[in-house]
Amino acid sequence: MGKFIRTYLPFTSNSLKQNMAYKGAFYLNMFCSIFAAFINYYLWMAIYGSAESGVLAGLSKNEMVIYVFMSYIVSSVAMVSMSRAVGKDIQKGDIAMTLIKPMDYRMSLIAQSLGTMIYRFILPGLFVWIGLEIYRVTGLGLPAVRISNILLFLLSTFLSFMIYVLFEFCFGMIAFFTTYIFGLEMAKTAVLSFLTGQLIPLAFFPEAVQRLFDFLPFSSMLYAPVMIYLGKYTGSTLMFVLARQAVWVVLLYLLGSLIWRQVVKRLIVLGG
Amino acid sequence: MKKIKRYCRLYKVLVSQFLKTIMQSKVDFFMGLLGFFFTQIMGIVFLYLVFEQIPSLQGWTLDQLIFIYGFAQIPRGIDHLLTDNIWLVSYWMVIDGDFDRYMLRPMNLFFQVICEKLQPDALGELVIGMILVVISLSKGILAVDACHILLFIVSMIAGAVIYTSVKLFFASIAFWVKQSGPFLQVAYELTNFAKYPTEIYSRAVRFIITWVIPFAFVAYLPASYFLMKRDALSTIGVECVIAALLWIVSYSLFMYGTTKYESAGN
Repeated sequence: MGKFIRTYLPFTSNSLKQNMAYKGAFYLNMFCSIFAAFINYYLWMAIYGSAESGVLAGLSKNEMVIYVFMSYIVSSVAMVSMSRAVGKDIQKGDIAMTLIKPMDYRMSLIAQSLGTMIYRFILPGLFVWIGLEIYRVTGLGLPAVRISNILLFLLSTFLSFMIYVLFEFCFGMIAFFTTYIFGLEMAKTAVLSFLTGQLIPLAFFPEAVQRLFDFLPFSSMLYAPVMIYLGKYTGSTLMFVLARQAVWVVLLYLLGSLIWRQVVKRLIVLGG
Repeated sequence: MKKIKRYCRLYKVLVSQFLKTIMQSKVDFFMGLLGFFFTQIMGIVFLYLVFEQIPSLQGWTLDQLIFIYGFAQIPRGIDHLLTDNIWLVSYWMVIDGDFDRYMLRPMNLFFQVICEKLQPDALGELVIGMILVVISLSKGILAVDACHILLFIVSMIAGAVIYTSVKLFFASIAFWVKQSGPFLQVAYELTNFAKYPTEIYSRAVRFIITWVIPFAFVAYLPASYFLMKRDALSTIGVECVIAALLWIVSYSLFMYGTTKYESAGN
């Protein structure tokens, strides 16, 4: 265990330092995504303004405000993309270097993503979160969130992060088969923003579609932690949702190992 | 006249070169198309799901919103298809000194920039936009006569000019600061506001997308003319004036910027 940490911790601290070094690009990216959150916010306020009842798909207007911004936080913290890095490693042949080193390629990537996650949790995560909580108490006049919800939310967000990163690894393997991953990346981002509940709460989907989502890993990436934060899950449902997240971590881990073993066999690196 | 003919011929030559590179990598082309196509489709599904819950959005019906959404994609797609190379100017060409090669040729600089690349990914946006407009036509919510069809085309062109001008403006800043891509990115991101009626936003946001970076004029305002909500002069007319003004400002800035351009020393 000690050796494990000693091997992979430098990856985490390195990516953390990298994130701190290249601040300019990061700030602008953050700016863009906050824009998106605000478009969403205005749109939902207009939607609630036009609605006949104050509650849509089980969410009140105030809960929707929290939903919009918490899903923004979870998506920026948990959804750390690494498929592009995998794609680059494969195309440039750098992957050969990682294969000869006595370490697990996937673990090193996860350790790097962890560094990015920690950075994003502090910025913008923590700032937006605190801002939201202040607005919730003073602006919306709601009681502050319970400590138990915060702890469960953090646990669930970490599981989301693991699910997303392991999924990304599998996705990145596509680069073994095609070189232009940009278009696929875009399609993936679009589809995920939908299936994870980032764009619209999954409760808005028809019943049958929701049941289908129960069997996919995507709802565990974002919807689960946000709904936990809102206190929508209690008792056995809560346990079930968390357990489902854990199961997805295991399943995607196994799937990743399987794909990795297959593709490495057919890997050809020229020069490198 | 001779000059125009020469440029047309040159454009044909350069574009045909580019088309050859696309034919070489069909899978890439298809993937890019798919990416943009999916991004737009998701926006439509979103509207459908929301309208399951509400009858209308501040007086706008689902059909009308879908028309605005589709209408907004066409000028965006036209601009995206033809002038994608502007992005490279703002991100890399000035800082790397690649802009040199344009300065050396006896041709209009802007023409050289845009004719170097066509972006086939844009077809994803164009296809979606046209499908949505055709669907709206079949629903009978649009006014259709010769005048409207003509102004539709005019509005598409003016909208694309607004997009191009905004891109060119922010890319031109690169001549002074070397790299302006991130600023361009932020400005371009604002277009996402234009997909929905501007009335839903707060006053500050509305002010920015109408008067600072006038993306409200590429979609929502002209679309409201075709939906028979307003008259031509206050929508299409204003759009054309804004497009012309923006183009003059951006193009002058770009031309002035090229005189300030200093190549990278390597």
